[in-house]
Amino acid sequence: MSLLRHFRKLSVEHTRRTLAGSASSNTRQYDKDPQPLFTDAETQRLLQNMTQLQLDKVFRKRTVSDNSTETKFMTTAQLEKEFLQTIVKANKLLQMPPVVKVKEDAQDALITKDAALKDFADTKYVFTDITFGLRNSERKVVVRDVDGSLSYASLDTRKRMNQLYFPLDGRRSYTPRMFSKPELLQRCLEEHKYEFVLDRLTVQYEPYELEFHQISARVFEHLMESKQFDLLRSTRHFGPMAFFYAWHRCIDDLLYDMIRQDYLHNAVELIALSYKIHQIPVDYKQTLGQLDALQPTPGQRALAELRNCLKKPQEQHIQDDIQAAIGKTEQDFAADEISLKFIEEYIGGEHALKKVQLELAVQTLKELNLEKLQLYQGLKKAHGVQASSS
Amino acid sequence: MSLSPASGIGRFYKHSAKIIRFVRLGCANRPFYHIVVMERRKNQHQPVIEQVGSYDPMPNESNERLVALNTERIRFWLGKGAHMSEPAAELLGISGLLPVHPRTYMTAWRNRRAAAEAEAAETETSKVDTA
Repeated sequence: MSLLRHFRKLSVEHTRRTLAGSASSNTRQYDKDPQPLFTDAETQRLLQNMTQLQLDKVFRKRTVSDNSTETKFMTTAQLEKEFLQTIVKANKLLQMPPVVKVKEDAQDALITKDAALKDFADTKYVFTDITFGLRNSERKVVVRDVDGSLSYASLDTRKRMNQLYFPLDGRRSYTPRMFSKPELLQRCLEEHKYEFVLDRLTVQYEPYELEFHQISARVFEHLMESKQFDLLRSTRHFGPMAFFYAWHRCIDDLLYDMIRQDYLHNAVELIALSYKIHQIPVDYKQTLGQLDALQPTPGQRALAELRNCLKKPQEQHIQDDIQAAIGKTEQDFAADEISLKFIEEYIGGEHALKKVQLELAVQTLKELNLEKLQLYQGLKKAHGVQASSS
Repeated sequence: MSLSPASGIGRFYKHSAKIIRFVRLGCANRPFYHIVVMERRKNQHQPVIEQVGSYDPMPNESNERLVALNTERIRFWLGKGAHMSEPAAELLGISGLLPVHPRTYMTAWRNRRAAAEAEAAETETSKVDTA
């Protein structure tokens, strides 16, 4: 049995080393503590805006035990109230896992050393304080070693003990094979199960652990190659992903995707975030302020959509019909113009890497926008709608 | 043998002697102990007043013995004047909650002496072999 134990230990250490070795050699790491920049209110707002609020994606069916729905009769006022609560709930579900630096074991872990206790037993003892009401982070775990020294347990042991005495739902006491074997993780990534990997990563590891950083970096880098950013949009992992790209100066792929999908507002925010992180002296606040004044927040937009659905056909104004057909309002066109100017400045500057690709995307979008604008104005003219009404 | 809840269902007199001690659970050849507070005169398998920890004397796969202690409740009962059985007192001493028990020092010293004697015997035999 001891032989078996020895082998198991060896294999665990081996996988740990291979994973750490393979990851540290080619994945990007945060070179200094990213936490102050990440938790900054402005950064959070930018990241939340970029994440977007797609309610049917947030509340999609999941593989959980209870997927039941409830049907109710409500008045319009009740429905709107309920809807506002739903938006609050959705924002809660979209809360981002924090990006913090890797935590090291404490240097002054030793409490006392009693030389007279040397060889009091043949193994060490781990003591866990299970006092009621303590949080996992403030629970004391101490180790009495064979040489008689009493010290605070390492982070690894602490996590093991916490999971043993106060198990978290979904977290395994052993490393899931998906994370211990690089080839299995690779297979998940090739099948584009990014959200699944990141969700499980968030459950299995704490944000300050080295593995969390390495595996999430690997996922984000794979995403950058496969360019399936839409899979993470409107999930809680989009913000950390954007932050990762902005920090490591590789936002161009995500930016290209945003321009292609006509999320110009988000593109501006991404560029602004990158300027903010690298302290590039460009005034982005003014542009952002203008855009915010022109466009509603995601919550307001969702509410407006709901109100549109509730309207009876005879109440529909012809202008709403036109807007619905084109998909843009006059404010949107104005906002697009401001955003495009800002984006073109970025592409023209020294920080953009894939200039040609980005320029082409901007050009295509501009032509499309022009067509839409002409159509919009033509339709309005044909229906005799006043231009100043909006 | 059914388990009673950690908050305990044992009935006790207000002024009777209480003790913090082990209760041997587990099964044949696989000991596992609960650290409990109960009336001193009672048998270990009778209902306890409160469970305040657990102790697994068999080393786990990373070669460590695991002990869980509800230090808040242990301190409460010690303050109430509860006694301690010797193994429990040794364990609390090792954990750093109480001063180290004298018997732990004795065990340590005897272990060191035994190791030294074994080593001496080893060198003796190797000398004889080489001679």
